Amino acid sequence: MSQPGSQLRLRGRIDLGDFPIDAAWSPDGHSLLVACGEGALQLVELDAAPAVRSIGEHAGGALALAWQRAGNAFASSGQDGEVRLWDARTLQSQVLLSDRSWSEQLAFSDNGRLLAVGTGRVLRIYDTGAALQARFDPQPGTITGIAWRPRLPEVAAVGNGGMRLHRLEPQPVSQDHPFKGAALTARWKPDGRLLAAGTQDGGVHLWYVAAGTESQMQGYGSKVTATEWSANGRYLATCADSAVIVWDFGGRGPEGSRPLELRSHSERVVALAFRPTGTWLVSAALDRRLLLWRVGAAATPQDAHLLAEECTLLRYSRSGDRLAVADARGGLSIFDC
Amino acid sequence: MTDRVPVTVLTGFLGAGKTTLVNRILSEQHGKRIAVIENEFGEVGVDQELVIGAEEEIFETSNGCICCTVRGDLIRILKQLRKRRDRFDAILIETTGLADPGPVAQTFFLEEDLKPFFSLDAIVTLVDARHLEQELEHSPVAREQIAFADVVLINKIDLVDGTTLARIEQRVQGINGTARIVRTRNANVPLERVLDVGAFDLDRVLTHDEDFLQAPRPFEWAGVYALEPGEHELILGEQGHPHDHDATAAHEHAHGALECVDLLVLPAEEADGALDALLDTAVHVFAAQPGPAVVAAHGPVPSREVARLRIGHHAHYALDAAASSHVALFCEHAPEEFGLALSGARLLDERRFGSHHHDPDIASIGLEESRPLNPGKVNEWLSYLLQSRGQDILRMKGVLSLDGEARRYVFHGVHMVYDGQLERPWAAGARHSRLVFIGRQLDRAELEAGLASCVA
Repeated sequence: MSQPGSQLRLRGRIDLGDFPIDAAWSPDGHSLLVACGEGALQLVELDAAPAVRSIGEHAGGALALAWQRAGNAFASSGQDGEVRLWDARTLQSQVLLSDRSWSEQLAFSDNGRLLAVGTGRVLRIYDTGAALQARFDPQPGTITGIAWRPRLPEVAAVGNGGMRLHRLEPQPVSQDHPFKGAALTARWKPDGRLLAAGTQDGGVHLWYVAAGTESQMQGYGSKVTATEWSANGRYLATCADSAVIVWDFGGRGPEGSRPLELRSHSERVVALAFRPTGTWLVSAALDRRLLLWRVGAAATPQDAHLLAEECTLLRYSRSGDRLAVADARGGLSIFDC
Repeated sequence: MTDRVPVTVLTGFLGAGKTTLVNRILSEQHGKRIAVIENEFGEVGVDQELVIGAEEEIFETSNGCICCTVRGDLIRILKQLRKRRDRFDAILIETTGLADPGPVAQTFFLEEDLKPFFSLDAIVTLVDARHLEQELEHSPVAREQIAFADVVLINKIDLVDGTTLARIEQRVQGINGTARIVRTRNANVPLERVLDVGAFDLDRVLTHDEDFLQAPRPFEWAGVYALEPGEHELILGEQGHPHDHDATAAHEHAHGALECVDLLVLPAEEADGALDALLDTAVHVFAAQPGPAVVAAHGPVPSREVARLRIGHHAHYALDAAASSHVALFCEHAPEEFGLALSGARLLDERRFGSHHHDPDIASIGLEESRPLNPGKVNEWLSYLLQSRGQDILRMKGVLSLDGEARRYVFHGVHMVYDGQLERPWAAGARHSRLVFIGRQLDRAELEAGLASCVA
């Protein structure tokens, strides 16, 4: 019996017929919601024979999805300028927001009670009763990434010009963390002490919010579009061209150290995902290969699959037992792992 | 890379007519699916499904290099547009009046996520004929918008006179020698002048102004006249509308008051071929005589030497061209700029040469080389040039004849980034490299030497 996560076994492949833009697993891992380029929201049921149905649409194209960690609410946004809040039991939705700017960032808080929405340069917070709880002042740049700080009513929103930490309690207040450059991603270390962001000019910016310091990891030849933490918070995986660069936060931290370099892809890496348990990492690149790594234990891939087309997204289910991989031609592959 | 969606960037100051042009493009029955990204909200019909509003957002780098700046808003939007199954035939980006075209263009060269799917087709700059001269005087952005352009649409031509229009066109050419100039009123322009222009086809760009490739001449205009028997008088300051004070004011504003003009008179035997035959002589005489003598009021104007004439309201000079049936005039400025007339004579042929009202900042230089080039040396030279002069080079384009390569190598660039590819084969006998640089304080001699060093 192999170790959990150590292999990717293809369970099935479905043709969605459209460019998959974002995807979110139901908390139980039985269904996967996919938002597509033409605007359709497709619900894929995986229990019996895989079945796909369209549950709604954002005219002109969908943009983002988020599903509560545990619960029946999920949210969607699209190029029609709308943000919708859905009930997974009835598949009915209500419009939370309709705006000229696109809402490209959606995230539920850990407890599922609050939804953060990044619309252009503005961050808003809604509750699951669809009531607006807070609207923060516009940031210097369009919000390109948001992340709830683990276990706290705080949201980090990054973009061109830096990061803002928005606190909801006791009353809404924002703290500015400027830097010169454009941040593209936002990911909290699981202990909530540190936020990592990939940057447009080829670096990873680290805000040690708890300690009040920051640092920057440089030397990437291109912009950094993925920053993913292992569940135990020890590793931060990033990508630069064809290499996966992993920083080790064990011991004294990564500053001044050499990162692990996972090299096997022959073209630019476009997506990374850590399994929610352990240190298994999957990477996908323009070479159409999907590779499985055991970070910290081996510098060679532990498993490999070839996709039909360029990968557009990788999503592990909450338990880590399933992995959804979508490609630009509309193919959706589900792996057991 | 073959079916990349062409992108047209539309720049121009507020009020030049961009919105009118965009509305026209959207409402015309052209059967094309065009997506419009606009940075100025509110004016284009919002119910248009394919109009996307965006706030201009410049991504700078921490080292502050202007050549690496890109437009974050365009990256985000185009990445999304790429995901739609029903692809667009064209994309039009309408920038704000004050937008720097550099980062917009660089986005298409630098952004890996966009390069496979979109190609920059042309930068189109729309200007208001009434305000351009003033804007060029006061706004570096206006000069850069002209310098970056592949097509300059001079709009509202019905609101200025012919003299002003000629002057504006010369000014535009002085900044950007390759831009195609299109005159319009009400932004009414055939769609093919704006969309899918293929502005990087240098053959098309350069044929309309071969002269642009030559080293600058000391004169802008030459004309050959048939002389009727009798006295002849050169008249300067013959304005088309002598009492149009607005036009005069704009003129002085643009060039500083034009007080004098240098002029050379050469006798000719006949009209046919006279200009070609006398061109070298004229260049020679101008070069040998750096400080011409000012001719006294009423003349006479000598022939075979450069004369400096004062321009005033109806300044009259006797022409000393006794016994010739024809005479050729070589003038420092174009005749409409100082109101030239020659009494008792008929203009039979004229030729215009590149403007040398060169902008103090920005100008364009064209180079030619008929010997094949060594690809490695070209690469080395361009890399060196872009490293050392990248900030000052705004645009460059070229078609190169490479040693041992049957196909034409076509490249274009913005600042320090460029993109090139091999295209269709050379026609027999047509192999000939041509390059164009548009930038600040460019040194022709340095560029010529650089190109010569690339010969295989």
